[in-house]
Parts: sequence; C-alpha cells; structure tokens
Amino acid sequence: MVAAVSVPSQAQTVLRGRLCDPAFVHSALRSSPDTNYSKLKYLVASSVSEACNNSVLLLGPRGCGKAAVVDMVLDDLRKEHPDAISVIRLNGMLHNDDNCAMKEIARQLCLEHQLSFSKMASSDDNTEFMIDMLRECGLAHKTILFVLEEFDLFAQGKQRLLYSLLDAMQSLTSQAVVIGVSCRLDADQLLEKRVRSRFSHRKLLFISPSLDDIQLLVEHLLILAKDSGLPAKYITDYNSRLTSIFSDKKFKGCLNSLMDADATTSNILRFLFRAVSYMDVESGFPSIESFLKALSSMQRQPKMDSLQDLSILELYILVCMHRLEDKEQSSYNFTSIMKEYRSIQDAYKTSDKYASTVCFRAFEHLLDRELISFGDNRGRNQALEYRPVKLLISSRELAQSLKLNTTCPVVLQKLFDRERYM
Amino acid sequence: MSQLVTPRRATRSSTADPVSPNSPSGSRPKSTPRRQPVPTAAAKEEEGEHERSTVDALLEALPGRRAQATDLLRLLAPAPALPLLLHGGAATGKTRALLLALRHVRPRPRRVAYAALRSLPSPRALFASLLTQLSPPSSSSSSRLRIPDKPSDFVAALRDALAGLSAQGEAVYLVFDNLEVVRSWDKGGQLLALLLRLYDLLRLPQVVLVYVSSATPDAYYSMTGSVEPNHIYFPDYTVDEVRDILMRGHPNPKLYSSFLSVALKPLFRVTRRVDELVAALEPLFRRYCEPLGDLKAVPDESIKRRLFEHIQPHLAVALNETFSVPTRTSVDECKDRSSGGKASSKRRFGSRDGLLTELEFHMSVSAKYLLLSAFLASRNPATLDAALFDSTGGSDNHRRKRKSSQASMNMKDTMAEEMLLKGPGTFPLERLLAIFQCITSVSEDYLGDVECPDSMMNGSGMTGLMSDVLLQLSTLCNSNFLSKSRSCPLEGSARYRSNIDEDLALKVARSVSFPLSKYIYRR
Repeated sequence: MVAAVSVPSQAQTVLRGRLCDPAFVHSALRSSPDTNYSKLKYLVASSVSEACNNSVLLLGPRGCGKAAVVDMVLDDLRKEHPDAISVIRLNGMLHNDDNCAMKEIARQLCLEHQLSFSKMASSDDNTEFMIDMLRECGLAHKTILFVLEEFDLFAQGKQRLLYSLLDAMQSLTSQAVVIGVSCRLDADQLLEKRVRSRFSHRKLLFISPSLDDIQLLVEHLLILAKDSGLPAKYITDYNSRLTSIFSDKKFKGCLNSLMDADATTSNILRFLFRAVSYMDVESGFPSIESFLKALSSMQRQPKMDSLQDLSILELYILVCMHRLEDKEQSSYNFTSIMKEYRSIQDAYKTSDKYASTVCFRAFEHLLDRELISFGDNRGRNQALEYRPVKLLISSRELAQSLKLNTTCPVVLQKLFDRERYM
Repeated sequence: MSQLVTPRRATRSSTADPVSPNSPSGSRPKSTPRRQPVPTAAAKEEEGEHERSTVDALLEALPGRRAQATDLLRLLAPAPALPLLLHGGAATGKTRALLLALRHVRPRPRRVAYAALRSLPSPRALFASLLTQLSPPSSSSSSRLRIPDKPSDFVAALRDALAGLSAQGEAVYLVFDNLEVVRSWDKGGQLLALLLRLYDLLRLPQVVLVYVSSATPDAYYSMTGSVEPNHIYFPDYTVDEVRDILMRGHPNPKLYSSFLSVALKPLFRVTRRVDELVAALEPLFRRYCEPLGDLKAVPDESIKRRLFEHIQPHLAVALNETFSVPTRTSVDECKDRSSGGKASSKRRFGSRDGLLTELEFHMSVSAKYLLLSAFLASRNPATLDAALFDSTGGSDNHRRKRKSSQASMNMKDTMAEEMLLKGPGTFPLERLLAIFQCITSVSEDYLGDVECPDSMMNGSGMTGLMSDVLLQLSTLCNSNFLSKSRSCPLEGSARYRSNIDEDLALKVARSVSFPLSKYIYRR
C-alpha cells in the first residue's frame, strides 16, 4: 500500500522506541562510575561468585529507574554467568497474599528447572519445595535471585513470606540474594523484629536527577547516532537542529518549568515522547514549537477546563452555592440552593428562570463532572434533593472561570462579586 | 514531477469518503518539492498525501475535533507508545473518536480489544471479556477458557495471550472504556491500580493501552501509579460546532438553519450536551414546520417571522421541561387547535410561567386522596392535626393570629431552614389513615354531586373509597410516591415518608377540587 516509509517517520519510530525502552534510557549509567547500578552489580556479582547470601533494598520515589537498574544488572549477570543464576520475580501488588506468593515462587522455580508444577499443592508443600530447591541449588553452586517489587506491600500483614524467605537464607547450604524494590523510603522500618534481624541493612537510595543530569539524559535520548539506519545527511541535519534547540532559552525554560512540577525521569520521558510525536513529518525536523506544545498539553488544569464547559444554568447553580457558603451556612442541599436561586431571580428578573426539574438536571450534570459532591456518606436513605452537598472547586477558580467565560451574563458576575463587598 | 503524482491523487480521492473542500487546496501547495531525487520525493509526497487524507477522512467523521483527532493519530501509531488517557465530559465523542482513529491509524493494528467497563458487572467479567477477545478464534470453540479469579493469574494469562498475538510485530490495542465506574466496584481501588499499572506489569513493547474516562485525571492519582498516561482532553462543543453537527445530512438545510437560529441559543443556555439538545429540538422542529405545508420549502423573511411567532410559546415551554411524554390530553389539544387556537394555547401557557397545570397521568380518586393525605402528614407537624382536622373537617375556624415577638420569628426562620434541610418528615400508618378519613369525609359533599349511573354506589360512596387502602398504599410505595423509612424503635410500627413536591401535590388537589392550600402549614 504505502511504498516506503519516509525518513522522518522512520526517525520518529526510532526515537519513540528508544523512549519506551527503559534499558536504553538508563544505559548511560553503565559507563559512569559510582552509581547505584555499579554498586548493585558489585554486590550481586560478589555474592554470586563468593557463594554467599545477601539482601538489599532499593528505595526511591516513583519513576527514578529502580526497576530499570535491576533489569540491567540481571541482564549483565546473565551474560557473564549464564548458568549460575535463576531469577524469581514477585510483585507486591499481585502477590500480596502469602499463599499466592508461595505458589508463584514454586511455579517460577518449576518453570526454570523444567519440573512439572502442580496447582493443587498446598502452601506448606510449596514452602517445603522452596526450601528444598534452595538447598539443592546451593549444593550445585547456583544462586537464586529473588526480586520483590513493591516490597512495602509484602510487609503488610504477618510477613510470613519474608520471614520464611530470609530464614531459609540463613542456612549454610543455600545461596540466595533478595533484592527488594520499594517507593517508600522507610520500607525497612515496616519489618517485624524477627524479619529485620535476618535482613542485612543494605539500602541503595535513588534520587531524582538534577538539571544537569536531565540535560545529559535528553541529549542521550534524542541525538541520533550514526548507526541508526537512517541516511547520514538526515542525521547530521537533525543533530545540528537539535543542538540549536537545546541551547535555545525557551527550551531551557521548558525544562525548568517541567522539573519544577515533577523532576522524575518518567515525567521527562512522557514530555519527550509527546514532543517527538508532535514532530512535523512534512518538514522532517524537530522544532521548538513541538516542545512548547507538548509542555502546554501536559500542564492543563482539568477543573478549569470543566468549568469552561458549563452551561449558563449550571454556572448559576455554582454561584448560588458559593453565595450560600459565603453566608456561612454549614450545610445546604438542593432545596436551599433552589430557594437562593429563586430569590435571585425575583430580585434581578433575569431571563434565566427555569423550572425545578430542569435545574435538577443541571445539578446532576455538575455531580457527574465532580465539581460538587454530596457531603454525607450515603448516610440516610434520602432523596437526592435533600442530601447535603458541597463545592469541590475553590472560589478563586470559580472567579477565574466566570471571567474567562465569554457568554456569561453580566448579572452573574455581579452576583459573584457583590457578596464580597456586602 | 506533477505527472507522477496526479494520477495517484485522482484515484485516492475518488475512492475516499466525500472530502471536505479544503483538502485538495491544502495538498496542492505541497506538490512543489525541493530539488531531490525523484523516487524519494514521490515517496515523501505520497506519504504526506496519505497521512493527510487519513487525517482528513477522520476529521470529516468527527466535526469540531481537529486538535483531538490529530493528537490521537500522532500518539497512537506506531507502536511502541506510552499509555493514553482520553478524558472529557459526557457525550463529547471520546469513544467514537478513539474507535474511528483506531480504524484509520497506520500501520493497521493487529487486534483491538475493547472492554466496556460500564456493562461489565465484576472484575471477573472484565478478565473474561478481555481474554476471549485476545484469544485466537480457532481455539475458543475447542477448549473452554479458564477465567482467572485473582489479578496475578489474570496478568499471567494476559501476558501469554498477548505474547502469542504480537509476535509478528504488529500492535495490539487494549481499550478500557468508562474507567471511572471501576471506582465504585467492590475492591475497585485494587483493580484500578492494576489496570493503570498494566503497562509496567506486561512490559510488552507492541501493546498499547488506551483508557477512556469521563472523570478528570486527578481522580486516578494514587500511590500505586507508575507510568502516568498521556492525556488528551475533549472539551464540550461550542454553539457553532453543535450547529454544524446538527446540520449535517439534514434534507432541508435552509429551513433547519432558520429553526436553529431561533431555537438553539436559548436551549444552549440550559444544557450543552448534544444528546439532550437533540431530544429537545426534535419535537420543536416538528411544531416549527406545522404551518408550512411543504417540508421542502425554502423560507423567506416573512415566512420565517411567521414561523418564529408560532414557535415562540412552545419554546418557552420546552425550556422548562426535561423531556416530554406525549399524552392523550396533548393529542386532544392538537385536535382542538384547529378550532379554538389562540385561546387554548393562552390558557395552557399563561399560568405559572408556562408549566402544565393538569396532571399528566391518571390515578384513581382514592389514590389521589391517599397521596394528598401523605403529603399533608409529611409536611405538617403532628401537633397540628387536631386543629386542622376537627369534626367539621376543615379549618373554618381560623388560626388565631397572635402577635409574634422577634425571638419567636427568629425561631420560625430557623425552623423553616431546618425543614428545607431535612426534607419531608415521617409519619406512622395510623396518622395517615386518620387524615385520609378526615379529608375524604370533607369531600363527600363534592363527590355526592357526581352523577353515578350505577345505583349501588349511591349510598356507599365513601366506603367505596375506603376499601383497598392498603393496596393503594403499596402501589404508591412501588411507584416511589411514598417511601418506607426506618420503623420507630419504641413502637415498632412502620413509618412512611412522602416523596412528592408541592407542585405535584397542588396538581393532584386541583384535579379532585380539594383546597389543599388551606391545610398546608406555612410558617
């Protein structure tokens, strides 16, 4: 159908593939010394080669590359010691039930060692199986690596899995390394006393990258190398344009405002993905506009957008609710809002006087948009008109939206402002 | 250069959908390429053309959604792609835009699995739906799929199914529609966290996840979120966009546009949702065309003015109702219209700001009296019953007007506020029956005047009303006019509450000629 994919779309595909591949994103860490990657690698490699047990926790906020570092270390070790490692992966969100986790461990062990797995085995059977396997693998000088993601979720409840795992590691014959990954910085404080005593308190802390690191990361991700499979002339043009964009003040301002909100790597990746997708395929080169457009689409305010989408009657209801709140009525419901609405209509004689059913429909639209909500927790079995409601937007947002709304009647603006000066 | 490109352009435009007028002119300036070797220029041309015609075809089908459609096409194709979240109000066209974009996206996706979360009752049903859509069609008949219960089993089964599908290198799209209903499911929080983290858990580069939600993205921020999806926002349509949408494909555009110029703006002030506007505009347009004999006529100024005057009162009525169910009375009125036109419409629209004053449905007389007594029982405090319903059955002896002090007036105000807040009160069954008996004894005089052809009914008019009261009561409860509330802890008898508002009660009272306003306790 399509004869050939054009060069810019090829470049786009290559870039998008890079941004979605965590191994590529963090591959720059391989070369730099004294990073968490090198520390973890040293730790695991030494326990594999020296046949000893170890445990380590990787802690840091979300999106900082903890799981990516673990994957990189595991890939390297598989290349270096192909037969000496088997990996068991558990996730705290999926396997937080101890029985379920044991079953998963048994299943993965069976898969690795080509044994048949019985689904009917009980939890005790699975635990025994795991201990036996640990002993066997230890005698065969094979290390089992347990990767526990969402470690803090395993530490809820009785911590039976953690205890049995760490306890099994205490015996002389087993060789196992437990790598825990968690986003809670106090994950080790959650452990019980007996579990904590068996845990070596090694922690690797991950922090969000600084501005310079981000600059280097962006260059690493977007600059095309010579061997990307694209024509050389295009690559040189592309790289020169990109470097000129990087030195542009607007781009630096972009990155700064992005980092002010959220400085994690995953946020930067999202921004770059969007900017690369907005790249103009006809001209074929990136431009500063695509970066600015990506930034503006990431920095929307959803409640303000919803407020701009309201009809006039819905705005009336919001203003009535705001007036009731200003009058310091602690709780009010739809009937009191209607009373306020009718008093406004009687006072100002606007053309926007509607029946109660129509107003109730507008009220329900506001509930759907989650700009207002009920104040009680499904308390009594009451009709909707009598349940207390409250506003979920601040008065500043309401004021701003009334100003921005071009079709808003003047009387509404007056009603909103007037109460401040009463 | 141009000869190479023109034949292709001709064939594509002839096979494509009706192309909007700006597309040929839009593509023509691009046919001046730079001085480059011919094949790559032609290929680039064709690629650009192809993309533009894809975008144009999509934009044709989605009016007023230019920015969102281009965003969708750019962010969805080619895989790998970060997850995507489409959010916006109801009836803004999110699902439709997404499904159309998936049809137009290039390269074509291998499979699109669509989970409509609003129609799935439980997590297990969701797992079943997704797995059946992803499994190859041949095996589903031979072996019954084991539907997983736990999330971990589901993720493993999903990974197996997807690995089998995406081996060829084409993308597989998983669409989750109406994500906000998962919040109200049992254990919905866990499932929501699982769905939003599916990208991390699966780690398959050819799988693209798309979420559609009518709640804003800040409803989904939680501690377990990992890869935040890219957002695309669908704003509501403006007046002009709604007008374009409604005008599409109408057989008589000039007539319809003159109608819309009259009717759309006032209705737009009430609601901006296209589905509600369409429901309100359709009967109005029928009324608008009534004076015109020929529906295909093109109106001029004088006709337009006449039609506008005709539609004006109906528009005022339409603004005040949510939906209208045509009843027999309205059909009869249509018949009357030919004879006594203006007078009847004035009577119909003149009172109470254009609301209908008659009851729109039929109820038996005893049910009407029961409803009125329930309304009075909920509305008035129990201590007033003796004064209102004495042996004469009416409040002929008026309440003595006492000069009220400031303190008691303040107390009355606060009690009025409380009544607004708390809603209608509850009453036991005995009180309801007592009030019922009182007011039916009052109305016996009125009913006695009614001509009864059946002689048996003459003497026992009132006992006819008293029978089957409990049956009527249960009917009223089922139709939600009354509701049963918690029984009193001391006595253990059932208590009821009336759910109707004052307008409906007045309508019912007017239909049986009962002076309700004399009995309502107003503070």
